[in-house]
Amino acid sequence: MSSTATMLAPSTRNSAASSSSSGFVPVSRQNTISSTHDGTRSIRASKRYSHTALYLSMSAQDRDLEIEDELARAQKTLRDLKNKISAQSKKNFVLEKDVRYLDSRIALLIQNRMALEEQKDFESHFEESTEVQEGTFPNDQKTQAYGNLFYLLQSEPRHIASLCRCVSMAEIDSLLQTVMFTIYGNQYEGREEHLLLTMFQSVLSAQFEHTPEYSSLLRANTPVSRMMTTYTRRGPGQSYLKVVLAKQINNLIEHKDLNLEINPLKVYEQVIREAEEKHGELPADMPRSVSAEEAAANPEVQQIIEPRLTYLMKIADTFLATIIDNLDETPYGIRWICKQIRSLTRRKYPDAKDHLICTLIGGFFFLRFLNPAIVTPRSYMLIDSVPSEHPRRTLTLVAKMLQNLANKPSYAKEPYMARLSPFVTNNKTRINKFLNDLCEVGDFYESLEMDNYVALSKKDLELNITINEVYGTHALLEKHSAELLQGRDTEHLGILLEELGPAPSQVPRKENRSLDLPLFSRWEGNIDDLSAALDITQEDVLFMEAKSVFVQLLRSFPATSIAARRPLNLRRIGEAATSMKDIQMFRKGMRGQELIKDLEALGVITSEDGFQILREEIEQELQHLGGMKEKAVEEIKKLDEVYKTIRDHNAYLVSQLETYKSYLHNVRSQSEGSKRGVIGQGSSGKEKKNQVLGPYKFTHQQLEKEGVIAKSNVPDNRRANIYFNITSPMPGTFVISLHYKGRNRGLLELDLKLDDLLEMQQNNHDELDLEYVQFNVPKVLALLNKRFARKGKGW
Amino acid sequence: MPMKSYHIVILGAGGVGKSCLTAQFTHNVWIEAYDPTIEDSFKKLTVVDGQSLLLDILDTAGTEQFTSMREMYIKSGQGFLLIYSITSLQSIGDLPALHDQICRIKETTEVPLVLVGNKSDLENERVVSRGRASFLANKWGGVPWYESSAKRRVNVDEIFWDLCRQMMRLERGTEEVEVKKEKKKKHACVIL
Repeated sequence: MSSTATMLAPSTRNSAASSSSSGFVPVSRQNTISSTHDGTRSIRASKRYSHTALYLSMSAQDRDLEIEDELARAQKTLRDLKNKISAQSKKNFVLEKDVRYLDSRIALLIQNRMALEEQKDFESHFEESTEVQEGTFPNDQKTQAYGNLFYLLQSEPRHIASLCRCVSMAEIDSLLQTVMFTIYGNQYEGREEHLLLTMFQSVLSAQFEHTPEYSSLLRANTPVSRMMTTYTRRGPGQSYLKVVLAKQINNLIEHKDLNLEINPLKVYEQVIREAEEKHGELPADMPRSVSAEEAAANPEVQQIIEPRLTYLMKIADTFLATIIDNLDETPYGIRWICKQIRSLTRRKYPDAKDHLICTLIGGFFFLRFLNPAIVTPRSYMLIDSVPSEHPRRTLTLVAKMLQNLANKPSYAKEPYMARLSPFVTNNKTRINKFLNDLCEVGDFYESLEMDNYVALSKKDLELNITINEVYGTHALLEKHSAELLQGRDTEHLGILLEELGPAPSQVPRKENRSLDLPLFSRWEGNIDDLSAALDITQEDVLFMEAKSVFVQLLRSFPATSIAARRPLNLRRIGEAATSMKDIQMFRKGMRGQELIKDLEALGVITSEDGFQILREEIEQELQHLGGMKEKAVEEIKKLDEVYKTIRDHNAYLVSQLETYKSYLHNVRSQSEGSKRGVIGQGSSGKEKKNQVLGPYKFTHQQLEKEGVIAKSNVPDNRRANIYFNITSPMPGTFVISLHYKGRNRGLLELDLKLDDLLEMQQNNHDELDLEYVQFNVPKVLALLNKRFARKGKGW
Repeated sequence: MPMKSYHIVILGAGGVGKSCLTAQFTHNVWIEAYDPTIEDSFKKLTVVDGQSLLLDILDTAGTEQFTSMREMYIKSGQGFLLIYSITSLQSIGDLPALHDQICRIKETTEVPLVLVGNKSDLENERVVSRGRASFLANKWGGVPWYESSAKRRVNVDEIFWDLCRQMMRLERGTEEVEVKKEKKKKHACVIL
């Protein structure tokens, strides 16, 4: 024992002993100290966990005691991972926008149809993709004003909600980017997530108010539907889709030749096409064009369709089963939105039957979330390349079946779909139960209130945002201010906008900076007196603090320490802490002892039973934390997957941009070259650039591993002897040759132009045929890009 | 002479009545129920100006979450019906971007196309003025514009027929151009 501790310890002991005489503890206090207030017990009890969390989180914020146990480490890993995912999904969102734009333009560029001016615009998108530099705001006063504005926007979601209703579809994309990835960008932080959902609710209920007809509810493309799309793109939605769909879809697309077409007309066409190829003429009894009914009546067609129906229903069944089994995996936010749809419908249409309500929930869950991912799995990062024709059609059919199930099917449109109606009839009860189960999630208002206080109590609330996001949001607020300020409680917003004056215009991309904007509110100071803010008694506060202190101490002791032995002895714990050299532990120990003394004086706990109530709650909390550790470890595993996926996707997007970039440089240098040729200038500088690169050697195994080889016809035992040489004799041109070890001459040589590859990619031709192997076009592009990048000049 | 066949793609925002127009045209039914489309395809034999045509009609999803499929649809289509609802400003607001996309993918502004304002029976809920639509039609180089009602079967056949005529005209046009090109080529060869 250190001398300080010896000196102080007796006094603590004395005071504790002296106060023990006052210890009359009412029986009703046994489980919760709040239950003395009759009638409020249950609410209090439910708040208690949050309060503890609040204290733990606040003391974690203080950083006065670094807890280093496994839970703390797991939580730290988890926190880092979540931050990384949040940041990465924002980057991907921005990159995706660029790639989408470039995708739509590259065709023109390939055919040399792009005007020079557009080329410049085109180029500017490359700049956007480069990382935004860190920086600070031009001036201090602005920082303050914007800090206050964004605090207001974040903590009072109604302003953003009304803004979402005012803006045009053209404006909404950039607004949503700022809202979902910046203002509420911490996707795994309860408070931001909950504020975002509050905003959703506000927009949703406005839509319910303004939709006259039940049938057109949630039907049109509106800011709400765009919000939902963007929302489902956040981390949790992505990982859910991966869990429920990735395996099934990948299984399906492996069977490239599995044709499950059931549209009789299409099947009929196929039958006569095949017959024609075989016999050179149409079968006598089969005219070229028939009506849908005639095609459906044809026995041969029927024979083909029959087994396909069974197969399709089996596939759809496995999809459905996986979805239902994974109810608990469904992200809270998505379920909560379903719940809002249900309750808003019930409120507005009290007579609506349950199955009608289910239709609306299904309309969101299937139509806007699951089915798009099934139909276009590549855009949801579920698979690597565009599925070939047959699997694509099968996936569409599966989505249609699920859609029919979730909605009331009308086979009036495509009568042949009626053949699949057993799937709907057999699963109707199941799906309605599932859709209702989806809605069974708790609300978060109470914890949101709590989180808001936590946020307020933090001294360093910050928002990482770019200058253009700040200005862009300001500009939108300004543009729609007349409508926005009509709403209730918009006085503060009005004042802030007035003070900020006109919104600055967007800065050029090169000058855009990302900055940490300190958030604060001039109207709500930091909350020092939490007990007043939360309407709880002094006793509650002391009790919770004591609990939190002892939990922290116990977590900091080595597991083998005597002080941590059961049954817990709070005094022993306090003494052990005060005897440690660590000044923080010493302080905590002192504080713990003080708190016991105070609580005993208040009659909340008594030394007679060894402070039983407090001990029990500490034990409970530790158990709860133990569970949390396991949960954290489990979650880390899952999020690692998500992070990997979105990083892969990021790499894909970046390589796509790189390819375009190189191509553009290439086009330019070629056209420059031809111009020079015409004018007759010497091109001594050019020759250097035309230097031959390579050959670079790649083994079969290497390329197979990297996914460049999509399919190989080389027998397994020969693969080790196969290698490839790739040479680039001039920018934009490649020669790929295939060699067999020991032979001088290559087996095959292929001249490739970058343009051709890009064009193939553009047309979704993913396979490049090299006779012995099939290359995957995007992967080849990535490989060439990596290996043959000519510095700054493209290929 | 083999029957001509054309590929028509129907595009427009969710809930404007694409499927209802299609169902009326292809098999004369009015669909009351709300049933969002993912992707439906139809074949329809029709006679326009004495010529029999086999139409391959693709009814697409208006739900924006499915828009990544649009590009593929546009590539495969020869003629397009661009539908909005006269009761939704948003729905006509979506169309210019769609028109751009078509022209971009087809690499020409001369694409057979009809602009259609559906739900004309809901006159008292009209928010899209006739002026706005005809302005848009003019801006796109004078594309034909109709107001239709799938419910009352007003202008249903007309919009499809108009589109067919445009596709037929375009086909005749390109044939002529190709003949001319051929001639030019020969000419050029002689000079060289």
